[in-house]
Amino acid sequence: MASENDDMGLEMSSITMLNKYSNTSESDPFFSSGWDPIVSQSESLGGSSMASHYHLVMENQGISGTSHVSQYQSSPSFVELVPKITGFDGGNLSQIPGPFSLPQCNQIANSNERGSKYSLRSLDEHRIPETLVGTSPNGKIRKRSPESDSPLRSCKNGDEEPGMDLSSEGCDGPREQAGKKPKTEQNSGANSRGKQAAKQDKDSSQSGEAPKENYIHVRARRGQATNSHSLAERLRREKISERMRLLQELVPGCNKITGKAVMLDEIINYVQSLQQQVEFLSMKLATVNPELNIDLDRILSKDILHPQSAAVLGFGPGTNPSHTFSPSTFTGTISGFPNTNPGFLPLPQTVLENEVQNLFQMGFYPGSTMDGFGLDGRLKPEM
Amino acid sequence: MDSQLLNPTSLKSRFTARFLRALTKINAPNPISSSSPTPREIFQRYRRIKVAADKSMAYSVRSRTTWSRATLSRLRTRSRHRRLASFGPRSSVTTAAVLKKTSSHGKENEGGLGVQAGELRELVPGGEAMDLCNLLDETAHYIKCLTTQVQVMKTIANLYSLE
Repeated sequence: MASENDDMGLEMSSITMLNKYSNTSESDPFFSSGWDPIVSQSESLGGSSMASHYHLVMENQGISGTSHVSQYQSSPSFVELVPKITGFDGGNLSQIPGPFSLPQCNQIANSNERGSKYSLRSLDEHRIPETLVGTSPNGKIRKRSPESDSPLRSCKNGDEEPGMDLSSEGCDGPREQAGKKPKTEQNSGANSRGKQAAKQDKDSSQSGEAPKENYIHVRARRGQATNSHSLAERLRREKISERMRLLQELVPGCNKITGKAVMLDEIINYVQSLQQQVEFLSMKLATVNPELNIDLDRILSKDILHPQSAAVLGFGPGTNPSHTFSPSTFTGTISGFPNTNPGFLPLPQTVLENEVQNLFQMGFYPGSTMDGFGLDGRLKPEM
Repeated sequence: MDSQLLNPTSLKSRFTARFLRALTKINAPNPISSSSPTPREIFQRYRRIKVAADKSMAYSVRSRTTWSRATLSRLRTRSRHRRLASFGPRSSVTTAAVLKKTSSHGKENEGGLGVQAGELRELVPGGEAMDLCNLLDETAHYIKCLTTQVQVMKTIANLYSLE
């Protein structure tokens, strides 16, 4: 399956990176020996790029997530990469003893911590320089997954199911479970293990409660409960945060907002304002229409080809002052409405204001008969 | 938006074509530049235009998203309501019951976002029966379609006011 290939490909890349960066230490011979079966298997499977199935994922969601892909390209820090791409947990690094300790990398890693989820221990430091070095030259994570990606991926065996803790296993594997690794490799099933020595291989049904998403791999932290519920919980939470990030880009003016509740409020406000705009515009169209001959082709061509220019020309003398109308009440509501959220308007602010004035001049309504619409305060959504 | 030709199969062009067709249909029965339309007529036209806008957008999306399916079924049920008044309460009760059954399962893991999630569910059509994860997906697509709708309608309104 494509996802399996992806995983193996990532692994191959990460393994090569490991071999590149690991110097002499007592664990290294274990590394090299332990990873060999994985390397051979991953080589056989080949590595298709992460980009392919991420694009698939994005298409499946029906949302163009390319914007958030590009957002990730420039973040070299390892910890930030982890949750965004595959939900890797940085905590697994702690299981690899090693000689490398770069204080700067530790600081970077620690500064990028997200809450308590990805707490890195001092043992992790040796892994971080590998990651940073590996990721910083190549900004795009997805494209270079076949070559050299986060060494964290090396810990991840070729499992499709989320909720695996094979990474922790794999990293410690050489010492204890070298024999198990090929088996788990071929399993392609989900094994969730928090502590390496404790458990046996399980089947993929263990994390079957996770949805059928083969592109997110979640790892339990060391010492964290790895029962199915907490893993599924974590998976859900990460998915939700991912979608919140997507929405953050869709809704204008939400770049500085951190926190799901505030973000949701903003989203709700934005959706409400959009719906109100649709109603307002349909009302406007209802009043404007009867005076016009409609040439469909001309309108279509104008609309599609030059929407901006048409909008700019939209205001001006083209009014029909057949009605007199006291715009006092209406002015307050309507001009208040587009002005409250200037960031939300796709067209320049002035255009809408001019449209509004246009509307007044056309005689939207005599004030007395507006009750049916509830226009005293705002347009009633449902009538 | 620049002056290049849009993709003819994009959401925007599909919606524009449909909506304009519906608009011409709505405006056709009225004699052009007749006596001032009564507020009642305008109100009816407003409602029809609004329905046409929502329907055009939902049709342009086909059934790819839950909200489009919910919108289409809602519109169809409402049109049936108008014709067969006696059937109205029953169908609404049925849909509500069905939604209640399905909605209770998926909404367990909202964290502390239950209030906002409920509000969002009310806003997005068909959102009652979705868990938060899918709801956010639907919201993103819904927002995208709403902005398209607003843009197109604004441009059309401007064109009309031009002439």
